Amino acid sequence: MVQTKKLKDGSRQIILNGTQYEGITKTLSELAVKTKASAILFADMSGQLISQRGNTEDMNTTVLSALAASDFAATAEMAKLVGEDAKFKLLFHEGEKRNVYLSNVGENFFLVVVFDVSVTLGLIRIYTKKAIQGLNQILEEEASDDLDSRDMIDSDFSTLLGDALDESFK
Amino acid sequence: MFINWALQEINLKIVYYGPGMSGKTTNLEYIHSKLDPSLAGELVSLKTKEDRTIFFDFMQIEVGRIKGKKPKFNLYTVPGQVYYASSRKVILNGVDGIVFVADSQPHRMEANIETLLDLENNLKQDGHSLEKFPWVIQFNKRDLPGVDSLESLQKKLNFFDVPSFEAIAVKGDGVFNTLKSVINGVVAHVQSQL
Repeated sequence: MVQTKKLKDGSRQIILNGTQYEGITKTLSELAVKTKASAILFADMSGQLISQRGNTEDMNTTVLSALAASDFAATAEMAKLVGEDAKFKLLFHEGEKRNVYLSNVGENFFLVVVFDVSVTLGLIRIYTKKAIQGLNQILEEEASDDLDSRDMIDSDFSTLLGDALDESFK
Repeated sequence: MFINWALQEINLKIVYYGPGMSGKTTNLEYIHSKLDPSLAGELVSLKTKEDRTIFFDFMQIEVGRIKGKKPKFNLYTVPGQVYYASSRKVILNGVDGIVFVADSQPHRMEANIETLLDLENNLKQDGHSLEKFPWVIQFNKRDLPGVDSLESLQKKLNFFDVPSFEAIAVKGDGVFNTLKSVINGVVAHVQSQL
């Protein structure tokens, strides 16, 4: 299981270990090859980009993830208004040259597939569905190592971060 | 908070909250204009024709590696106008720290209070509370004539005694201090939660 810690105050902390990250990236690579998609992103519902594959050099994928997350959030409100209880599972944007296919992966994550209009939607649909099954499995796998954010953020870290911020904000 | 162990990345989400026209976007614009381009990503604004934020502004900033780790801060603003209540709620999803940008002008006090209550309400739905959550207040527009005294603003808005800053965001006064304070608050909060 991907470590989703509920902290004392109710906030959520997601920790992804190395094996999971590799697994996710591998799944995205396979999907990219099979679908010939231009770009594939995997992100969390708060808008945080986790992994990407394809020709993403000219694309601001950080911003794309933030926008895609808000797309899900906005349409979830839309779903409520039209009497749909759950969130919409997939969103599709059709363009003249490129299409964007967004699909949720469990409650907390989603996948963005950007592809040329020459690729059929059916193909994207089938392979994306398979990839999502794979991703769900990876996310549910028991983490072998107990990762602790304490190792990530210690008191030394805060001091050094403060200095780095002072330096950047000069 | 999102931690990617493989890449040693720590991602934090900070949201600028406050009533309409209090200067949330201005804060981000100033940070974007002053930070080295290698540290600040593109500033994306979803604005109406009248330059009002319709959904959010977004920018990611970095400070380089610290002890081998790479902290990244995702800064968001919410639209201040009352009728964008549901956008405000969704942008708070996964938030780690909040900057409340208050307008120091007396005729905006009611809007400040209303928005603060709206924030408390939205946080509650995620199981948070203003009392325990890391947040800071920025009293903006200190250069305008006839603004409320600092004492009066503190009394009316800062009832949890969180760090507060006077600011003139258009000139950049107080902008970085506010951001630094909320980041420190978030990191300290994460440590205290462990």
